[in-house]
Amino acid sequence: MTRLLQSLRARVERRLQRWILRRQGRDTDPLELRRNRIYILPTPLGIAYAVMLFAMLLGGMNYNNNLGLALTFLLAGLGLTTMHHCHGTLAGLRLRLLAAESGFVGDHVRFRWLLENASQASRPAIDLRLERASGSAGCPVEVPALGIAEAELCLRAERRGWVPLERFVVCTAHPLGLFRAWAVVHPAHAAVAWPRPSARDRAPPRTATDTGGAQLAAVGDEDFAGLRPFQSGDSLRRVAWKAYARGQGLHTKQYAGTSVLSHVFEWDSLSGLGTEERLAQLCRWILDAHERGEAFGLRLPGGEIEVNVGVAHRDRCLNALALLDVRNTALA
Amino acid sequence: MAVAVAPHVTHLPAWVTLLLLAVGAWRWTASLRGWPLPPRWLRIVAVGGAALAVFSAYRTLNGIEAGTALLVLMAAAKLLETDAARDLTVLVFIAWFLLYAALLREQSLLSAPWLLFSAWLSTLALMRVHAAATDARSASLARHTLALMTQAVPIALVLFLLFPRLPGPFWGIDTGTASRTGLDDEMTPGDVSDLSASGEVAFRVRFFGAMPAPEERYWRGPVLHDFDGRRWRRPDAQAFPQQPVRFTGAPIRYQITLQPHARRWVLALDLPSAWPTRRAVQSFDYTLLAARPVGSVTAFDLTSHPRYAAGATSLPGSMRRKDLSLPRDGTNPRSVALGRSLAARHGGDATAIVRELLATFREQPFEYTMQPPQLADNTVDEFLFRTRKGFCEHYASAFTVVMRAAGVPTRVVTGYQGGEYNPYGGYLIVRQSDAHAWSEVWIADRGWVRVDPTVAVAPERIRGGLIAAVGADEPVPGRLRDASALWMEVELGWDAVNDFWNQHIVRFDAAAQFDLLERAGFDDADWRTLGLALTGSLAVFFVSLSAWVAWRHRPPPRDWPARLHDAVVRRLRKRGLAPHAAEGPVAFLERAAREHPDLARPLREITVLYASERYGPEPRAADLQRLKYLVNSLRP
Repeated sequence: MTRLLQSLRARVERRLQRWILRRQGRDTDPLELRRNRIYILPTPLGIAYAVMLFAMLLGGMNYNNNLGLALTFLLAGLGLTTMHHCHGTLAGLRLRLLAAESGFVGDHVRFRWLLENASQASRPAIDLRLERASGSAGCPVEVPALGIAEAELCLRAERRGWVPLERFVVCTAHPLGLFRAWAVVHPAHAAVAWPRPSARDRAPPRTATDTGGAQLAAVGDEDFAGLRPFQSGDSLRRVAWKAYARGQGLHTKQYAGTSVLSHVFEWDSLSGLGTEERLAQLCRWILDAHERGEAFGLRLPGGEIEVNVGVAHRDRCLNALALLDVRNTALA
Repeated sequence: MAVAVAPHVTHLPAWVTLLLLAVGAWRWTASLRGWPLPPRWLRIVAVGGAALAVFSAYRTLNGIEAGTALLVLMAAAKLLETDAARDLTVLVFIAWFLLYAALLREQSLLSAPWLLFSAWLSTLALMRVHAAATDARSASLARHTLALMTQAVPIALVLFLLFPRLPGPFWGIDTGTASRTGLDDEMTPGDVSDLSASGEVAFRVRFFGAMPAPEERYWRGPVLHDFDGRRWRRPDAQAFPQQPVRFTGAPIRYQITLQPHARRWVLALDLPSAWPTRRAVQSFDYTLLAARPVGSVTAFDLTSHPRYAAGATSLPGSMRRKDLSLPRDGTNPRSVALGRSLAARHGGDATAIVRELLATFREQPFEYTMQPPQLADNTVDEFLFRTRKGFCEHYASAFTVVMRAAGVPTRVVTGYQGGEYNPYGGYLIVRQSDAHAWSEVWIADRGWVRVDPTVAVAPERIRGGLIAAVGADEPVPGRLRDASALWMEVELGWDAVNDFWNQHIVRFDAAAQFDLLERAGFDDADWRTLGLALTGSLAVFFVSLSAWVAWRHRPPPRDWPARLHDAVVRRLRKRGLAPHAAEGPVAFLERAAREHPDLARPLREITVLYASERYGPEPRAADLQRLKYLVNSLRP
């Protein structure tokens, strides 16, 4: 019986979601929540409140007690007033994606949203959720008058590749928790889920560069070659702390390699493994190399990423792994 | 919470209050010191124990009294586990319900501000529970709650005035247990004088037409027939036929508004001739009885005839026996002997006997006082022959006993006599201090005749009320008031306000709703009109409320240069020119001037003025005027 009810409920919910999507269409970014897309219903607490008021109404009529009725009506008026306030708290709020942060499979990807309030009244207790009914209240944020606030949504990364944020719900139960107003947002955003790195059990093959020390970009880690100004993304291990202590500013030590100038991690070097294991292994190597501050490149079926260093480079490589489609070997 | 419980304290058993206080205090210290809350099983035991205790005290869990006690205990139990927002919410709900229960008990004018205050306080509590996540300050929360309440009041008012009222009780209600001041259905010496010590309002009367003279203002309460030597009682069985009444003279029409007294008497003016038959009945001895005990402020439209002949033709034997009976154990022998000697002297002429007995009261040194001496066993004998100091019940009782001994059917009538006219409200106030007792004598051909022996002793009691009749040192309520004319005015004014409250708020009902609609211009108001008016006005309020909320969330006003720039953009749009997403005002104006050389001159000046007005150190009024002029004369 309960299962039947549940499945029925799920079907109604799906219908409703489709209807809302048809009605609103995909949303733009930035998005302003207009009045006509905000839904409002009483919370369980609000229903209990209504039941209490109904009991009071019956009692007041039964005892012909006008003051009791006055209290009932006052509370009813209060409930209805909070309904309008609840709706107004959401109407006109602006949403803008700050960042879609990638994560590894098994972990989470994060969508960080900027909430903008262009009105003269503050908007307290705004909550972002994946589902309206999800019991666990997130942590509601207050968007001050003419101010901004930040809220984030976490999605579990189940498989590598794009993790789209199909829909989410902006809701509030302000001011008394008797009503919940919500708006469904269908953003056109997605984050990348990187493959989960494998265990550290296989050392990367060492690939010597073919041009010796002539290439500028070929930076190894054996012979000290000089200093260059620090750039964000450089490993802290390579920072010339002695020079910094002398007051010469932050510099990064550069080495020129003779035996190994750089790593180029190759798909083809892992021929004994399946696709996902290879990706996991490449991911591990990339992470380790980045951790040590080494330069690396990546060669995959269908494309190659030049040897480089830094966070942006690491992310580019990881994205390439995440989005690799072996069947038609198109590299993003 | 404390505010919600406070009005119940006087009605609750002491242990309930003490328990709540103890739990509250414990909880307070626990939260300060960080003690752990009691385990679950202990709380369950506590709740079960509380329910049992209430049940054993009241023998029920139903009804206002027991229900309130139970709620208070539940609140105490909830305090034991108050932790999550949910528990606090439940606590607020309980507080609301307690507030409601208190209103069922008491509906005076002063309870209205108290209602608003405690509703605000409990809402604030809920608000605080809900805003726990945000770090809002108490003062701003309180202000916010107040704003919410203010907006709720109009809606509440509309609902109050227009929400359809279904008359009558749907289930049985208990009004009896609460003790109220008022006349009882029995009387012992001292009862009426005790009642008279209270200045509380018993009822108010509004006359449609002439007011009866003070000596005709006898308000009829319970009639007492049974005497046991000390106490007069109303007979339990009412199985006597009602004797017919013939009314003469002009009728007096009036509306009587009773304060709740938990009894059925309607205290009509002697003798009622017409009343709403669905809401009241008349007993065989002409007392008007409401269909239910008067548990709330209740009004009746009545007609009375001060001149009447009641049961003139005959007196049934059973009634004659009842109203001649005296205690068989021979108490009050001297009074009985007095009665017999009167009967012997006048040979059964009832009128002569009455006249002689009243003359005795008048001529002997009888004294009218609110503080009569204590009487022991033969109350009537002691009063008549020894103390000779008494209040109206002493005189009525003694008179009735002597008359019965003389063979004349006589009974005691209790009620009120007199009343004070309130010029501010145009009505008569009858207080508990106007409580009175008199006698009714059955005389052949005249029927039941009212005889007030108090008049013989203290005629000023009837004309001028209690204050005029008793000595200056007696505790008459309102004596202080009489000393100062100003204070008297204030009190009468306050009473008029209370009366207005009772008439228009406490007694507001379906009839008053229709009346209101008709006065608002709806002819033939019926339920449909009521529904329409309700929906209509609610819709108006909803629209204005949402408009107000939207207005609260309005963007800040733009400054003048910005507004003028908007105007420029609007005008340039006609030429298909619009600012890009990443284009500032100045950049846009410069591009416009480049692309449209015919407008270049004014646009360049606008750009300069705009920049200096908006971002410059000293905006000048003249520049702003020039800017306005340029923008308005821009003709793309």
